[in-house]
Amino acid sequence: MSNLVIRKIATLVLVIACASPVASAQQRPAGALPDWSGVWQMVGPTVFDTATVEPPNGRAGDPGVRERPPYNDEWEGRYKKNIDAIQKGVLPDPVNICGTPHGFPRVLNLPDVYEFVVRPEQVWILGENGPNIMRIYTDGRKHPAAEDIWGTYTGDSIGHWENDTLVIDTIGAKGSRDGDVIVDRTGLVLSEAMHVVTRMRKIDHSTIEAQIVVEDSKALKAPWRVTKRYRKLEAGTRVYDYSCSENNRNPVTSSGRTLTLGPDGKPIDKVVD
Amino acid sequence: MTPKRILLASFFITVSLTFSGAALLAHHSATMFDVAKVIEIKGKVKELQWTNPHIWIQIEVQPASGSKQEWSIEGGGPNSLSRQGWRPTTFKPGDEVTLRINPMRDGSNGGLFVGAKFADGKMLGRWE
Repeated sequence: MSNLVIRKIATLVLVIACASPVASAQQRPAGALPDWSGVWQMVGPTVFDTATVEPPNGRAGDPGVRERPPYNDEWEGRYKKNIDAIQKGVLPDPVNICGTPHGFPRVLNLPDVYEFVVRPEQVWILGENGPNIMRIYTDGRKHPAAEDIWGTYTGDSIGHWENDTLVIDTIGAKGSRDGDVIVDRTGLVLSEAMHVVTRMRKIDHSTIEAQIVVEDSKALKAPWRVTKRYRKLEAGTRVYDYSCSENNRNPVTSSGRTLTLGPDGKPIDKVVD
Repeated sequence: MTPKRILLASFFITVSLTFSGAALLAHHSATMFDVAKVIEIKGKVKELQWTNPHIWIQIEVQPASGSKQEWSIEGGGPNSLSRQGWRPTTFKPGDEVTLRINPMRDGSNGGLFVGAKFADGKMLGRWE
């Protein structure tokens, strides 16, 4: 056997060995992927739908601030209940308990900074706060079968590229089912029936835009369209560890009130219930 | 006004009704703070806890009469603050400083950081 034939066989074996077992024609090679490197920060406050927030420029968590998702009556009632609880100071942010991810779609609505890691087979959205990780499979796989899905905080996301736009399809998020996921601190909630399509693309050198369309057959009367933008920070910006439990001086009581602890670990609040 | 209230009133003043540090809080809501109100407290830094999820400035305040009081002032997270130029040494034990804070709604000795002015005139945060 000639050396040329041996080399060709060896190359063929190497290619087969390196191929992912689930790779398909949809997976785009590394050289054809857009450059989303760097460190990014969400533009604006952590109000999920800034287009409908009331009052304008209202901040999530301040009493009386709300948005206008196309809720049906039942879920509008749930939202109002949460808004009332916030006014009474008894709707804690679930992440206060230190240990759960923020959940989807809140993972697209985080403070601090983001990294978007674009690889041929997956895209990873890394949130410094939490920290949170959203994995988007871009290797051509489908969502698991219905019987293989159980609601998780961040759900199951698959994606494909349309030119330089990443189209993400997310299902399997548990939403507010267990009472430990909100969409933002105004008290927004969604159900485990949510199906979300997010189109992400770089609209200029320093801006990534996410156009999010939320469908939820249990909670919404119509698709809810929300746009988020992320601004690239200066080159060399670092991302750091985040640990909610390192020095959490704001525990939550059984009644839902958030306390403030002194340096000795005892509440400085005058009323503790 | 109770005697303690009169005492406290002697060492802090209300500055404005507009500054809020609520945007700093990435971990929990700010409902325990009166974000519509800003007061000043002046004292000596005891400790800066440069920790997640929030930094804490422990400051000893000497009222016009009576014993020193320790206040706990909550700030943003160290990650975001470091990108704004803060460091673990930004507040050193013994620093004389005036802090502007959103006070606790219940009047206890705590608040949310708004701004700081050091003895050498250096300012930090929102100080307008």
